[in-house]
Amino acid sequence: MSSWLDYTINGLIVGNVYALVAVGLALIFGVSRLINFSQGSIYLVGAYIGWVAVVKLQTPLPVTIVLVATLAGMVGLIVERFGLRPLQNSVRIAPLLATIGISFVLDQIVMLIFSPNPRALPSQLPDVRFQVGGGTIGPLDLLIAAVGVTSALLLFLFLRYSKLGWAVRATAQDRDAAMQMGVDVNRVNQAVFGIAAALGGVSGMLVGMYYNQIDTAMSLQATLKGVVAEVVGGAGSVPGAVAGGLLLGLVESYGVALFGTSYRNLFAFLLLISVLVLRPNGLFVSARQAPPEPLTGTFVAPSRPVRLPPWALLIAFAVFALLPLFPVSSYVLQTLINAWLFGMLALSLTLVAGTVGQVSLGHAALLAIGAYTSALLSLSLSFPVGIAIICGGLMSAALGTLLISPSFRLRGHYVSIATLAIGEIVSLVILNWESVTHGPIGVVGIPPLSLFGYELVGAPSVYWFSFVVMVLLALLQVRLLASHIGRSFRAIRDDDVAARAYGLSLNRYKSLAFIFGGFAAGVSGGIAAHLYSYINHETFNTQQSILALTIVILGGLGNVAGAIVGSVALVGLPEVFRIAAEYRILIYGMVLLLLVRFRPQGLLGTI
Amino acid sequence: MSNIDRRSLVKGSFAAIVAGAMVSRTALADASEPILLGVSGPLTGPNAQYGAQWKQGFDLALDEIHAAGGINGRKLAYNFEDSQSDPRQSVAIAQKFVSDPRIVMELGDFSSPASMAASPIYQRAGLVQFGFTNSHPDFTKGGDFMWSTSVSQADEQPLLALYAVRHLGLKKLAVLHQNTDWGRTSRDYFVNAAKGYGADVVITEGYIADDRDFRSTLVRVRDANPDGLILISYYSDGALIARQARQVGLKQTICAASSVYSPKFLELGGEAVEDVHLGTRYFPQDPRPEVRKFIDGFKAKYGGQEPDAFNAYAYDAMNMAAAVLRIGGTDRRAIRDAFAKVHDVPMVIFGSATFDVESRRIKGAMNAELVIRKGQFTLWDGKPT
Amino acid sequence: MAGPIEASASASGAADPVFLSLRGLTRRFGGLTAVDAIDLDLGEGELVSIIGPNGAGKTTLFNLVTGLDRPDAGEVRLDREVITGLSPETLASRGIARTFQLGRVFGNLSVMDNVLIGAHTRLRAVKPAVPLIGPLLELVLALVRPYSVKSEEERLREEVRGILARFGDRLLPRIDQPAYSLSYANRRRVEIARALALAPRLLLLDEPTAGMNPSETAEMQALIAELKAEGLTILLIEHKLDMVMRLSDRVVVMDEGRKIAEGVGEDVRKDPKVIEAYLGHGLSQAAMDEREPAA
Repeated sequence: MSSWLDYTINGLIVGNVYALVAVGLALIFGVSRLINFSQGSIYLVGAYIGWVAVVKLQTPLPVTIVLVATLAGMVGLIVERFGLRPLQNSVRIAPLLATIGISFVLDQIVMLIFSPNPRALPSQLPDVRFQVGGGTIGPLDLLIAAVGVTSALLLFLFLRYSKLGWAVRATAQDRDAAMQMGVDVNRVNQAVFGIAAALGGVSGMLVGMYYNQIDTAMSLQATLKGVVAEVVGGAGSVPGAVAGGLLLGLVESYGVALFGTSYRNLFAFLLLISVLVLRPNGLFVSARQAPPEPLTGTFVAPSRPVRLPPWALLIAFAVFALLPLFPVSSYVLQTLINAWLFGMLALSLTLVAGTVGQVSLGHAALLAIGAYTSALLSLSLSFPVGIAIICGGLMSAALGTLLISPSFRLRGHYVSIATLAIGEIVSLVILNWESVTHGPIGVVGIPPLSLFGYELVGAPSVYWFSFVVMVLLALLQVRLLASHIGRSFRAIRDDDVAARAYGLSLNRYKSLAFIFGGFAAGVSGGIAAHLYSYINHETFNTQQSILALTIVILGGLGNVAGAIVGSVALVGLPEVFRIAAEYRILIYGMVLLLLVRFRPQGLLGTI
Repeated sequence: MSNIDRRSLVKGSFAAIVAGAMVSRTALADASEPILLGVSGPLTGPNAQYGAQWKQGFDLALDEIHAAGGINGRKLAYNFEDSQSDPRQSVAIAQKFVSDPRIVMELGDFSSPASMAASPIYQRAGLVQFGFTNSHPDFTKGGDFMWSTSVSQADEQPLLALYAVRHLGLKKLAVLHQNTDWGRTSRDYFVNAAKGYGADVVITEGYIADDRDFRSTLVRVRDANPDGLILISYYSDGALIARQARQVGLKQTICAASSVYSPKFLELGGEAVEDVHLGTRYFPQDPRPEVRKFIDGFKAKYGGQEPDAFNAYAYDAMNMAAAVLRIGGTDRRAIRDAFAKVHDVPMVIFGSATFDVESRRIKGAMNAELVIRKGQFTLWDGKPT
Repeated sequence: MAGPIEASASASGAADPVFLSLRGLTRRFGGLTAVDAIDLDLGEGELVSIIGPNGAGKTTLFNLVTGLDRPDAGEVRLDREVITGLSPETLASRGIARTFQLGRVFGNLSVMDNVLIGAHTRLRAVKPAVPLIGPLLELVLALVRPYSVKSEEERLREEVRGILARFGDRLLPRIDQPAYSLSYANRRRVEIARALALAPRLLLLDEPTAGMNPSETAEMQALIAELKAEGLTILLIEHKLDMVMRLSDRVVVMDEGRKIAEGVGEDVRKDPKVIEAYLGHGLSQAAMDEREPAA
């Protein structure tokens, strides 16, 4: 039974680490209602600055901490000033995407400077261990706890009793009113970002020392777990963030104790979803709050969509349809095949995120469901491939909608977080549900694409197949958008309160959007499975979800032609610029940032 | 001569020039252009570090190959395309390689999904796909153009089991492994072999490679009362586990698979990895001439840095490719046939390598039993820890 | 062509059967009671105005009646049927339409589409009321678009053009423009048009002339009078007392969540409690001007 004490202690220790990241997130959310997806990158930057200080400059610990805090804080100030402040009056979705873009850019810069190899970050504290329960803790555990508690306490006092702290709280409550009262809102934002970044940087350094290891993969993990902790604790509440972090650590620890290590992350994300569904305000924040102020302003950037003349569309169709007849290398065809498959995913996402306003960050999960369904049906039950793919689409529509439905009651950034978590959960279930999915071994020997008994070998036939399927789905989507359902989708996106007042059931139409979109994505996943002949839980991942989102933004949210154009651009161009391979993700990040800043309506405009 | 007008003359000369250029290109290609290999692997993304290690191994091998006169007088070069170990990209790269007539063989990819997704393309087009770190047992079943020098876990894990159970005398084992296709397959082979040697596997725990925190896992392990921990890990996660095992109060012997063999394991693990046992294919003081050549060459080229497992796989792969090309020339089909003909190629991993034509793999990897003493990899002297 | 409003058979008068009734309607937020045991009866065809200082709870009351918020206590009945706590979507299909205090049009939708949304609850051909697979049928019908669906859509579009014609040439020439590009006054008009497209039995207007200049206000006042003459039952929140006096059958005064006066306009205006409520909270200059006897 003493093991339970050990599990508890371990949970608290890990929870400590999560709390550190969560506090920074809570601070920023409290002021600007923004989930800062780049917090993990600042954490990473702090760790590497710490490495330079400790290993290269050999500074003593207090100096190291001050150095890291200062430099990381400056990075935070720069991010706020140039990455986020220009978006102040922009549409609601802009800052969310901007922080994602910033995280790409920061992560890649670190990787380019320091190389992707993990490195050791020695702690400069004496190597003493204290016996606690069955295990031991060391000075670093205590330091991390101390930093966590102290910063939470200091922040609490700062917000309560200092002038700038009051300004921060006023801005958090009502930005416009605060401005009218003479609060320099820009300075407040800056201060908050600086503090959060300094804290984030120091956290990264301490955790790096704790594990004696830093590498560029730290960033995403930190962001994910930090967001979970913050949302669970209560978005915007600093004490809530600490409590949420500790709770997350405990839940993971007990989950491992009861079910085994591979269920660890599953528990984390299930905790998140449960909290979002049952108590979206968070566990440690009062649930009794005034109803939200009516939200004015639109969600997407209002714009006049670029109307492509029908003759231009016909020409483009003809060119792409006839392309394989020309002496084009199969490499170009393969690239375009990828573009068509991504195009289907983008069609699905532009419908859901653009037309209906549900910015899903876990859309790759729909690919996975479709892929596995199609693969397993054609392998185990000998379904003809064409039928299997359609079944993949239907399963994705049904199961995908069912899984995403808990997020229907959520609004704004919470939808994105929930869908991100659901995406991760699907991936983890695929990994663990071995009797069906073969777990990490994956599904091998998936039959190749075939239609009515004829195998589609060779790039041209696969090209035509995927092109035709994509065009059909696009045409169906255009028809859907022109119908009363399309009108209803857009009304819900623009103002769901008014939409409800006129009889539009949000659940019904969001479900329809995901059913249609799920079908498109599932078909895409199914085709991919038969194309690759081997899939496992890593084949369809979060990076693709983010790429799909970038494509959709580039093309114009809700814009069908834009989804296809964006897909060709963002899938095709990197192939053209293979030389710039190391910079590819950096370029994605910059593209996202520039789009969001200068042309949020995308190339072809939102619809 | 009568009906030839200027237009057709121009057209005709143009065609002749182009044809001439193409002919001379291939003719020139034979003489002064290097033989080109295509490499599909991660230069960016989560596995970028391994791609970088590949390059180190390749470049070292190439230096030696050229110093020895190249391939029948011609130089050898590789074209490394970044797949990020993503099947989407490895498939596109495969199309690119097969349509480029200069590419005679492909090396890679890093992970099994990326490799196996591309196999149908290589097989149909008739370009050898030579894998050397993708360890899925079904990789070579993709077709007769799929060849692999990655050590089959069916060979490696029994060696580790022998070390742990018979030589170290461990009877109750806790196995921690990465929850990937490689980790799983390895775990299954290890458990079978260990049981065969009479040991009891009291607990196995699969973890996600990116995990940092293993303390709770280790409490579970502790409660199962093992007398030894087996790590089927890469060096970063291996180091983390070793450190945290000591922090949680586990004092059992740790025995790890060769995948932790890297100077990084020592750097990241620090004191915690002292006395960790591991089975590897080679070690720093390995007297074999091919190993000495490799280690000394690596240190000379890379500023004293010690090589690790992935450097060695890549180095060996390049050398094997060179050996195959010497026999098979530059025709893609002949190269495939040459894989079956090549024999006794000196390799760090296998000693003297010959392909088993049935499985298109190499059997009989070298084995050394090491232990970490005073922060160095040393040959185990047979004494208990 | 049928008008958008199904005129009720009853004539206006004092002894109308109760159409909308509120009993003890209460809503609290923490320590604050925003709506405090409000009773109210509305007869069919009546126009009742609710006035009171800012923060009196008027909009919250509207939210309770239209289902946007749930009361902590009390009951709402429409035509004798209990509708307390039903969702806004359900109430819309029962014929309750409302406009919002800050004006909520669908910014990226055209004027036509905005108003068509108003008619959503009246769609029959494309939204068969079948349980369980209803949504899927709706999807299929929307994609296939059989004749019945197409003609219903056409009919509704004609109807919308008719509604927009009531606003003269303010909205019709802009029928395909996105709502965000319209002037503020036009956006408010689109909101009203959308409400009319629902063919409501009960219309709730929340400060429909807020921010409008006198001539725009006069136009809106004329329209509301027209609607009343057509027999529509209307609940109106307004600050412009002159308009309130001219349009209303009765006036209800709220302050701090409570009903402090009710009756015919003139009586309410002279009620000392009402004067105190306004003076105590500070009367806006415009409202004070309007208290002058109208010419």
